[in-house]
Formats: sequence, C-alpha cells, structure tokens
Amino acid sequence: MAAPLIELDALGPNGPFRARKRLTVTDVTGVPVAELSLVPKLFVTRAMKALRDAESLPAAERIAKLAAAGRIFAEEVIDGLTFEQYETTVARVSGVPLSVVRDATAAIVDSAEKSGWAAYQAQPAGAVSDWRDRATLDGSAVWTRKGSVFAVHAAGNHPGPHSLWLEALALGYRIAVRPSRREPFTPHRLITALRAAGFGADQVVLLPTDHDAADEVLAQADLGLVYGGDDVVKKYAGSNVLPQGPGRSKILVTADTDWRDHLDTIVDSISHQGGVACINATTVLVDGDPGPLAEAIAERLAAIPSLPPEDEKAVLAVQPTESARAIERYLLARAAGTNAWLGGDGVVEELGDGSAVLRPAVHQLDRPDAEQAGIELSFPCVWVAPWTPEAGIGPLRHSLVLTVLTEDDRLVDRLLDEPTISNVYRGDHPTYWIRPGVPHDGYLGEFLMRTKTVIRD
Amino acid sequence: MSTAADPVLDLPFDVQPDPEEYLSAAMRWHFSPETGAPFWLDRADSLGFDPLTDIRSWDDLTRFPNLANELRFARVEDLIPRGYGDRPDVVGIYESGGTTGAPKRIVLMRDWLDKLLGWSSAQLDGHGVPLGANWLIVAPNGPHMVGDVIKQQTKYRGGLSFTVDLDPRWVKKLIGDGKAAEAGAYAEHIVDQVAFALETQDIGVLMCTPPVLERIARRDDLAKLVNEKVRAINWVGTQMDPDTRHLYRTEVFPDAVLYSGYGSTMILGNASERHGLTDDDPCIYDPYSPYMSFGVVDPKTGGTVEYGARGQVVMHHVSKSLLMPNNLERDYGTRLPGLPGQIGDSVADIAPVQEFDNETVIEGVY
Repeated sequence: MAAPLIELDALGPNGPFRARKRLTVTDVTGVPVAELSLVPKLFVTRAMKALRDAESLPAAERIAKLAAAGRIFAEEVIDGLTFEQYETTVARVSGVPLSVVRDATAAIVDSAEKSGWAAYQAQPAGAVSDWRDRATLDGSAVWTRKGSVFAVHAAGNHPGPHSLWLEALALGYRIAVRPSRREPFTPHRLITALRAAGFGADQVVLLPTDHDAADEVLAQADLGLVYGGDDVVKKYAGSNVLPQGPGRSKILVTADTDWRDHLDTIVDSISHQGGVACINATTVLVDGDPGPLAEAIAERLAAIPSLPPEDEKAVLAVQPTESARAIERYLLARAAGTNAWLGGDGVVEELGDGSAVLRPAVHQLDRPDAEQAGIELSFPCVWVAPWTPEAGIGPLRHSLVLTVLTEDDRLVDRLLDEPTISNVYRGDHPTYWIRPGVPHDGYLGEFLMRTKTVIRD
Repeated sequence: MSTAADPVLDLPFDVQPDPEEYLSAAMRWHFSPETGAPFWLDRADSLGFDPLTDIRSWDDLTRFPNLANELRFARVEDLIPRGYGDRPDVVGIYESGGTTGAPKRIVLMRDWLDKLLGWSSAQLDGHGVPLGANWLIVAPNGPHMVGDVIKQQTKYRGGLSFTVDLDPRWVKKLIGDGKAAEAGAYAEHIVDQVAFALETQDIGVLMCTPPVLERIARRDDLAKLVNEKVRAINWVGTQMDPDTRHLYRTEVFPDAVLYSGYGSTMILGNASERHGLTDDDPCIYDPYSPYMSFGVVDPKTGGTVEYGARGQVVMHHVSKSLLMPNNLERDYGTRLPGLPGQIGDSVADIAPVQEFDNETVIEGVY
C-alpha cells in the first residue's frame, strides 16, 4: 500500500483552501508524495487584497512571534509531519542531500529567532526605527517601509532562501509566497508555523499557482522578489521586483598564495550543499598553471560517494534520471573544447530507482574569459581557468560571492569597488559562508525600506 | 414567394422532429435546385456522393468536407437557400475569425433565430434567469453575431439591452504581439464602461467574459453593485476553472446565478451549460439537437475519441437556413454522451489547445 499523499493546501486569507486543481508532487524516483492545491487568479487577487487591507502587527510583537514560529517550525507536528519527517521529505522530493536540508532548516530557525535584529542591520546609522524615538524631537531620519505588501516567487533548489523573506515580515510587510512546485513543503510548513505563532491569515499567505496566476501575485504587491536565470534578471531589473539571478560565485588565487594551503576551502566551496546553491563556486581562477589545481580538485571530488538524498552520508544532489540526463547532455555540449579532469564522459550515475546522482565535473579552461566560465549548473560543476593580473577584474565580474586568496590589498580594494561583485571574502573563507545579519546580495532592507525625515514637538 | 418546404423543417422550437425524417428533408431542401443555396448546389457534383441518397444517418454527415474555409471568400448571396424566395428575411451577415486574414461570413435568417431564441430562452428558465430583466451585454457586436443574438434574446424575454462593445480581434492581436499591458488597459477601458451602466441602470443580468468578470470582482464598488442588482451572470468566450466558479458562487457573487454559454458563429448559435451542475461537475454543454450537434475527435487521426476523453470539437448545423457540417473548432473538450434523444455528443470543459510546458530549465540553480 502506498502511503497517503500529503495534502498541501493553499494558505489563504480565510485559512487553508483545498483547490479542485491539484498538482501531484513526486519524489526524485517519481513516486507521488503530496498534492499541492493550485489556486486560480481570482483567489490570488482576493488574497492580495486581503493583505493590502490588513494592518501590520507592532514591531515587538512581530519579532516575538517570528521567534516563536521558528520553534514551532522545528518542534511541532505540522501537516502530519514531524520536523525529521519533513526534512526527509524535502530531501526525497528536491534531491538535496539530507545533511544539507538539515543545515538549511537550522538556518531558517536561526533566522526566525534573529530576524528582528538581522532585518534592522540594514537601517542607516542616521535613522531611528520609530517616529516616537526621542531623536525625532530634534529632527531625525525614520526608517520606513516603501510599501505594505511583499510578494515572493520562491526558489525550489534549496530550503535556505526562505529565511530571507522572514526579514520582510520582521519589517512589517504583509507577505504572499508563491512556492516552487519542486519544493513547496518548506514554505508551507513555515507559514503554517507563523500562523500558529500568531500571525493572522491576512499577514502571510501561501499561493501555489500555475503560470497564469503567478504574475498576479507580483502585480498586486508593492514590491516583489523572484528567483531565476539571466532572463528573469533582465525582465525585472530596475523594477519594483528584486530579481535573484545566477550566483556565478568564484574563487581567485593570486600568485602570492599557494592554493595547496586552501584546497579544503576550494573543494568545499564547490561541493558543499550538493552544489545546488548560488553561493557554490562555479569558477576557480588561479594565477599560474591551472592544471595541477584542477587535478587536485578532481581527485577530491571523485571520491564522493553516490547515495540517495535521504542517506545520512549523502553529499551530492539527486534528480529524476530524465532531468539529470538533460543536464548532462547540456554540459557535454557546452564543455566541448575544454579539458575535462572529471565528468568529461558524463556526470550521471543512476541509482536504479528512477533517480540519478549528478556527480561532480571539473573542466580546465585555457583563458579566464572563456564563455564556459559563466555556466552555473545545479551540481558541483566547476571551471578552472588561468588568471593574470593583466586579465584584471573582467573575468571576476558578475559574482554573488568572490573568495580571494591573496596578499594584495589593492586588489581587494578594486574587487570591492566592482559593482557586479556582491560579496568579497578574503582569505580562507568558503564562498558559501553566510550568517544572519550580513547581506546576501545587499540587505533586503535596502530594497524594502527608505528614510523619511520627522521632526516633532 | 418562397418555395414550400417540408413541414418537418418548420416545426415549432419545442417540437422534436423525427431525426432521420428531418435529415432527409434537409438534404432534399439544400440539394434541390429550386430550394438549395448556390453555395451547395455548385459543389454537389464534386462531393463524390449523392446527398439525397447517401446521407441516411447523422453519422453520414462526416462524409461532407469541412467547407468552413470557403466561407472566407463566398458571396453571401450564394449562402441563402433559394427556397426563401426573392425577399429572404435576413437578420444579419456575421463573421467568425478575422484576427489575422479574411473572416468567414455566415447568414442568420429570421426563422432560425426565432427557433433558437425559443430554445435558448427555455434554457435560461431552467437556470432560473429572471424574465423581464435588463441585460448588460459586454460582448462583441457587429460583425460578430453574439451581441445581436443576445439583444434579441433579451427582447424576447421582455427586458432591455445595454451593451458595451468588445473587439476580440484587437485583443487577440495585442496578446499575440505580447502587448499584455495594452490588452490590460483595453480590458480596464471595457470595465470603466460597465461601471457607468451598472451605476445608473437596473441591470438584472450581466453577460461578459471571465477576464472582464475578474476585473469587475476586483473593484469593490462594482462588485457591490453586482451583488445589489445582478441576479444572473452569463460568462462566455473562454474557459473558467472550477475553483474560480466556486469562489464566485460562494464568496464573490453568492446571490447571482452563474452559468456559461458555448457555441460558434459557424453553427449560428450556442448552448447554455446543463443546469443543475455543481462546482465539482464538468461544465457540460448540450446542443440544440438535431439542428446543432457536436462531436469530439482526435486531432491527429480525425476519429471520434472515447467518452470521457478529450479531443477537438466538431460542430454541425443542419437547419432550413443553413447546412454547415463538419466544422472543426479550435477548442478542445471532453466527449460525453448526449441527453436522451440527442443527436451526437455533449461536450464539457472547453479549453483552448493544450500547451505543454516541456521547457526544461537547465542552466542555473533555481
């Protein structure tokens, strides 16, 4: 007997809503796991209006309830699942290794507890958070919301990004989340926990939709957040929707530094989190012969075992065989002409149950600006290229994270000055390093908030 | 002077003819040189069969070619059966298609309209649509048929018609060109006009498309007016999913009868959805048999699909005023058995051609 399917209802302004139109969510082997209710556009329109008509909770209340929600998320049975069962389900469905899921869910809990503090890290030093602050008696900037309703088209690659929009909730936004069909469990559990902690159904909603109604979620919000590729970035650049595009994170090793002292950090940056995150290194640039470094990376990555995602020791991400094969075909076509140290004959290892592991790939490029250097795939796939000071900043542009292993302070200055590099980690720090309170791609608060001058008697 | 027709072609709307007798009388009418339309008489020799002797059952209608495309170029005078005489009572010339390229033209005769109105009005009674109500018809007017027919229907039922014109060709062009914002602005322009009528007049029935209805629902002031005044909402033109129907019936417009219509200019009429359906039932349409009849075919083979399966909708019209068999529509629907005594199938859950989303996102982590 197959286990009964988990029912993931939409979480609307009048409570859970079970739609007639439901999408079957399967695990990586194709076995149905859940049914996700898909709401029509009219439901979205009405839910967004309910958010708009609602009033936000006072700041102290929001922050206390966020912390409580984090505890409920981690400790209580939600949708019939314990926390451990939920984590295993996410691993089975998304193919993200269980240990990575656990790190990510722990980070969500951590963010929920700290969001009151973390969200306000973006507040300008000259501003206060409440006009009642005594500072306004003499005139002061007050940090205020740019709007009241925030929409998120969530990503499904990894549960981690769901910690980000909690900051918007901490800042007093009412929020609509359109979950990814690939992994709707995390936002469903999180929003259910937020409601159990005391956020009203008109404060935060979950709106699973098909494409038709997805635009309506963004259109009816004041501000939005979407995840996607270059096309999404291009579509929303400069609008009231903040695109989260490709990470294309990189590592640079200059001639004054020996990569052998940092091999753990370099390899970890590539394969940690199964390589599914935007903060995994896509490109490694080295001043000198890239061959030995590529060889060393390949040797380390080749030793990682192929395991199902729910295995405690799993490190690599798993996909349905068909999509894994499609990614493999794409890689093999694009990698033509490069020097493969690992994965040159293919990266798919079938597990025999309809799913397949995407094993690491290491390719050496002959120049830092080779077109392959920007190809970011959702598994440990790295391009190792030569770099010289003469090549300059060009090949390092468009990086979410750049780890630079160098003694050159002037170079670090120039990297920080480069607008298309979001984060600069100097020294032995992996590209995936992140903590609540530091910006991921700028503070979300920079996008959500503005200052206004208030003076009063 | 019109030529006398077999009385079975002129029965009152609610008297069911014997189907085979009716079919054979219709063939005699359309393929006799004295009574048939030049359009068919000119083509009789190239059919490869003799309609008078070879069309014996309704299934035989599929032997006719689909000549709908020829209506883009035919002289409309040639479409009128000669049996109507020198002064045929033509209600109007209407068009179908025409977003890109030439439209198809068809002639609506008075005797057919009268029959259709009698039948469709009885359907509205079944839905509980009030008699004597004024209608606000947010639908295409000329050269399209729907606006004119609904105006006539309103008059037949004792109400007054208010209209807001809608140009579907322009909307389709905008959408086809990717100009979603302009299409949205046009829809808002329509709703602005709806607002004036709703605010100032006694509107009892609202007819519009699902996108317009969504925009009306979005505006609190208009939704309130609809709830105060409108007793029935007739949606047409595109599909509406069951969850949306449920929301309208339970939350948005709970006091109004919500029902849909589906038809085609090419068969000179439409059918209201079967009354008594719940939100969990498929949205079923039963045609005005035997004059209008439906089939559902596999688009690749042309063969009829099984009951319960989806396929492309084929429509036939056989009346004294028009013979138009095998008109292949662009819509897809589910094939269901017809009501007892009905010729052909009923169709449900009409939707445009399924577009499959097989786009596999490869590059990137999202």
